[in-house]
Amino acid sequence: MRKEPERRRRGRSELETRTENRLGAAWQGALPCGASLLVQQYLLENGLRVLLVEDHAAPVVAYHTWFRVGSRHEQPGKTGLAHLLEHMMFNEFEGVKAGEFDRRMEQAGAETNAATSFDWTYYYEQVPSSQLGLVIDLEANRMGRMILREEPFRSELEVVTNERRSSVDDDVDGAVSETLYALAYTAHAYRNPTIGHLADIAGLTREDCEGFWRTYYAPNNATIVVAGSFDEIRVMKRIAERYAYLDRMESPVEDVHPEPPQAGERRETMRKPSSTEKVALGYHAPAFGDVDHAPLQLMCDILFGGRSSRVHRSLVQQREIAVDARGYAGAFAEPGLLEMQLTAREGHGCDELLEALDKEIARVVAEPVTEAELDRAKAREELGLVRGMETCGGKAEQVAFFDVMLGDPCGAMNRLERLRKTTRTDLLRAARRYLRQEARTVVNVLPNGSPKVIS
Amino acid sequence: MSTEVLHVESSRELPLVTIMIGFRAGSVLDPPGKEGLTRLTARMLRRGTAHRNAEQIENDVDAMGADLGEYVGPSATTISVDVIRRSFDRAVDLLCEILGEPSFDEQELGKLVRETIGSLIEARNSDRGLCVRAFRRTMYAGHPFGRRAAGFMHTLPTIVRADVVAQASRVLTRDNMIIAFAGDIDDATALKAAERIRGVLPTSGGAERVVPEPFAPEGRHLVFVDKPDRTQTQVLIGCLGTAPTDEDHVALSVAATVFGGTFSSRLMKEVRSKRGWSYGVAASLPVDVCRESFTVWSHPGVDDAAACIALELKLLERWWHDGVTPRELAFTKRFLTRSHAFEIDTPAKRAQLAFSVSLYGWPQDYYTGYLERVASTTIEAANQAIRSRIDLERMVVAVAGTHATVGEAVRASIPGLRESKVVPHDEE
Repeated sequence: MRKEPERRRRGRSELETRTENRLGAAWQGALPCGASLLVQQYLLENGLRVLLVEDHAAPVVAYHTWFRVGSRHEQPGKTGLAHLLEHMMFNEFEGVKAGEFDRRMEQAGAETNAATSFDWTYYYEQVPSSQLGLVIDLEANRMGRMILREEPFRSELEVVTNERRSSVDDDVDGAVSETLYALAYTAHAYRNPTIGHLADIAGLTREDCEGFWRTYYAPNNATIVVAGSFDEIRVMKRIAERYAYLDRMESPVEDVHPEPPQAGERRETMRKPSSTEKVALGYHAPAFGDVDHAPLQLMCDILFGGRSSRVHRSLVQQREIAVDARGYAGAFAEPGLLEMQLTAREGHGCDELLEALDKEIARVVAEPVTEAELDRAKAREELGLVRGMETCGGKAEQVAFFDVMLGDPCGAMNRLERLRKTTRTDLLRAARRYLRQEARTVVNVLPNGSPKVIS
Repeated sequence: MSTEVLHVESSRELPLVTIMIGFRAGSVLDPPGKEGLTRLTARMLRRGTAHRNAEQIENDVDAMGADLGEYVGPSATTISVDVIRRSFDRAVDLLCEILGEPSFDEQELGKLVRETIGSLIEARNSDRGLCVRAFRRTMYAGHPFGRRAAGFMHTLPTIVRADVVAQASRVLTRDNMIIAFAGDIDDATALKAAERIRGVLPTSGGAERVVPEPFAPEGRHLVFVDKPDRTQTQVLIGCLGTAPTDEDHVALSVAATVFGGTFSSRLMKEVRSKRGWSYGVAASLPVDVCRESFTVWSHPGVDDAAACIALELKLLERWWHDGVTPRELAFTKRFLTRSHAFEIDTPAKRAQLAFSVSLYGWPQDYYTGYLERVASTTIEAANQAIRSRIDLERMVVAVAGTHATVGEAVRASIPGLRESKVVPHDEE
């Protein structure tokens, strides 16, 4: 974030170094990201995109590796593969025995982890600046030199099964979310859970995993973001050198199945060992890059964002029929869901919750929100963005996410500008376009043993 | 204002200011039968003042681009605000108003009590939460740490406005207050704001924080929280841990990190990497004003639960008897030393550390001398700390799962049990 004075004086020679391609990578320019951040863009010959964000506020660095592949790229019957591969990437690769990656990273003081979603998979390290070289070497190595052995693969299958139990099978909200997506999507791969169906996980093989890795973990399918305190030129040279061995690969054509328009409301009732009744709703919503996504996000904030929101005020505080009310517009690469979740208080149930929610939805569809509500929602979004930039890890994540999702590393700032310019008319249009009862899915949860039957 | 009670970490990096206001009093001050009172009192602050009702407060907080939070633990109460810089003065105005002129409206109190009861019922959906509660109830039986800051179903309805007013005058006082600012703010502005906030609080009457030293129950105890249809279990095995004033506090912390504090720790290797029994597995050693707990957490599937508990007990025994190795110690010291950079990489984190030292009354060099103490930890000190603080014969094993499926196997997996009991998941 802060550019040191002496580095500014060195600007011209840096520029020459960059443009003459002495770094082993093509410099693709610098983008201002907010008032004081600069994102330096590079492209290696093998297609690997590298984004460098110098910020000398603290002697630490975040190193993010994002792949443009997630669970939506899995084949039928192979759900959970992208996530399982993410786990296996921490195991063994050439020159690094099983367990050694974590050990060497921890010895360097690093925090490491990874995440998989429908659309992407990412790996990160946060490390003291003095240890960045080790991270570059290890990450470059594991991208193309993973070794998959049967025994650790079997063991990791157990771990993933256990993870699924805790996050879905024994978790009411996780189970409801899985059911909601399975019901809301009939064709698109978003209908399958990222963690995978239990039967599919059990059937995954080492060969499946290796095939997925070879197909999708190509340098031209990845973006690396380094944010924090480091020397741009030295780091870029090292990255270019270490990743040069990787070959560009042809990305397969995605077997995409666009979701047909939903023509009628879908409902399902589940019985779970829950202490409360719950309702989950999913409205089909635009992709993150769509012009309507920002207005819909603000609309969600007005309905569900905090204690001053309409739904919280009505259902939790005034009518006292809900314990909790949440809603958000998912950030998906393709048309996703606007999710809502309500939890009933004792003595109240799904029908009552839904009826009360529908009144609030009818209001935002019928008439514009107030200017004050819109201003509050914008202020909340601004606070969220600024908080997200407090750490070097937060900065790296924002830059990488927007690059992978929209091809715009400074998308967070552009998004904030878009949110600021959004009008009440935009919200009314988005509400009328997307908050349609015939395009929604409703999942009710009844506690086990409850005598009530919902049609 | 004393530097012991005011901390400022300035940085112009982002247009954001964090304000932390702490009071050296927490839920241990809840009178018996009124559990939940301190937390209700803190939460009532945002439910109305002499000039604004609850709705106006919430609207104003959001309009500022602010986030107002309150946290009540056993030994401390914290009110915190993150706010966009341009709204800082308005945020201070609001803090002065909610702390200085709260209305503690009777109707709002009734609503909050009902809302809290609803949350307690919903909390039964968290198996991990049920397991933690069972562990603390059993480990800290008869001690305030065994109670719940949120209160209980039967105590919350007994709390009336007069209780809240009285508790506010005991907890929210000038002599109890610690304040910290971080972010886009200079010392002079922070001092002025701190004086304003301090000025609205009563000058005296603050309750003295007295937390009795906890004692662990004799023998090994199993408490099984029975919940239907579980495919896995939540398991906590633990005993009393350490207090920040203990001479061997850091040595034990280093030894606990060897045991279960990293991805390459003994626990992680044996339970997850080799056997795949639990996605999450970790040892932890939380801190408070007196001895807190040492726990080992995992969540094995029903088929592996008994074997997993037996393995974890064996690993604990080996750790206790054989100690840590020189290689493990060297590795962990490097990890703790280098990763410390992430404890202090933002102004808010740095302010939080200084704030916590003052709030909890920890030794002044608790954080500033941390790296030195880690570096000077010897193998003898680490192993001695394990043996003197970890009592394997005064342990509690808490399990949340379906008793009919796995209860007997779990009980059989724990040698030397003095007591075993099964409690329904909706007991509290």
